[in-house]
Amino acid sequence: MKNSAEISLPLGTTAPFATMHKWLQRGLFVCLTALVIEGTFTVPFLMVWMGWPTLSLVDICSELEKVRYSDDTRECLYPYPLFGPSEGAGQTTAKDIWGIQPTPQYKRIGFRDLVKFRDERLARQAAATKTDAGARPAARPSP
Amino acid sequence: MATRAQQTSGAFGAYDAHQNTSSDAQRRADKWMIAGTLLMGTAILGFIGFPLFLRGLWLQKEAAKAGLSVRPLIVTLIGYLVIIDSALNSIGWTLDLIANHTLINRVITTSWGAMVDGGYFWHYNELWLGGAGAPGEKAWEIALIPVVFCARLAAAIGFLQMKRWGQQWLIVTCWMGLIVWVGYNTNMTIFADVRYAHVTFPVWGWWLYDIFYITPFLSIPYLHTVNREIFSD
Repeated sequence: MKNSAEISLPLGTTAPFATMHKWLQRGLFVCLTALVIEGTFTVPFLMVWMGWPTLSLVDICSELEKVRYSDDTRECLYPYPLFGPSEGAGQTTAKDIWGIQPTPQYKRIGFRDLVKFRDERLARQAAATKTDAGARPAARPSP
Repeated sequence: MATRAQQTSGAFGAYDAHQNTSSDAQRRADKWMIAGTLLMGTAILGFIGFPLFLRGLWLQKEAAKAGLSVRPLIVTLIGYLVIIDSALNSIGWTLDLIANHTLINRVITTSWGAMVDGGYFWHYNELWLGGAGAPGEKAWEIALIPVVFCARLAAAIGFLQMKRWGQQWLIVTCWMGLIVWVGYNTNMTIFADVRYAHVTFPVWGWWLYDIFYITPFLSIPYLHTVNREIFSD
């Protein structure tokens, strides 16, 4: 067993704080490793969650706007004019319960939900087009 | 090319030679760690920067084993981690503050917002200066990027150079971290509906993601208990 004279402490660390410094160093290593993993994987994880590569970046941007403002007609304008007004300024479609502490009412976005939302919307639009066409046969050109 | 140690060892004696050899070894290790930190600070290139950083850390450890006077390992870790922490915080908030209508920001930041923090999704890009519109959020960004994070970055550089002012200013700016965390989380709690209603991973998701930014709190106990004499005036 080493006696106190033989124990070599790092520069700046005194014996009473040696254990604390050791555990702080371990905590710092954990944080460093976690930040690197987070930093590296955040963007690819978000992209895949939101529907890439089925949806392009502009598609994801548009789908996010449709959810955010509860408006299926929203499209992501890209490239955005450099000195243009904020893209959402003046919008009136977003749903909230307004009060001193507002509560948003948009949809929760689960794994690949934006792809599902888009497919459902396209199916709705296709069905609406068919119904419109079926409801107005007189409008069809005669053979 | 001769190192400074080789150039001066004959002229100034063993002490100076040891000092210069130590300084050269530290600089060599720092080159790897600076390169690694620059990459890790970009977030997405962190997986390239991490091995470079570890290589520098290993070189520094080897130099210490060889009896050279290099920085203590924990000082190196705190200094570089504070820089990485500041860089990562600044990237997200600067994108939101200045580049809020770029495609990458509108995709990444609002996706992240929809997932763990509705403050970055709710009425996004509706405020006249764009970006997050959650109550108080813009004030935190404007206060923290230029004041806390810039000052902490400067302090971390001085700390890595083993300067007394670096240690002192790191203490000051890490204690600012307490104000940041208490103030920011109180704001999020009071406006919890905006921040967490209908987000994918509410509250626990935010904490799981952000808990690793507690570097200042791991630094404070060390900064107050380290022997201050190791830092030079």
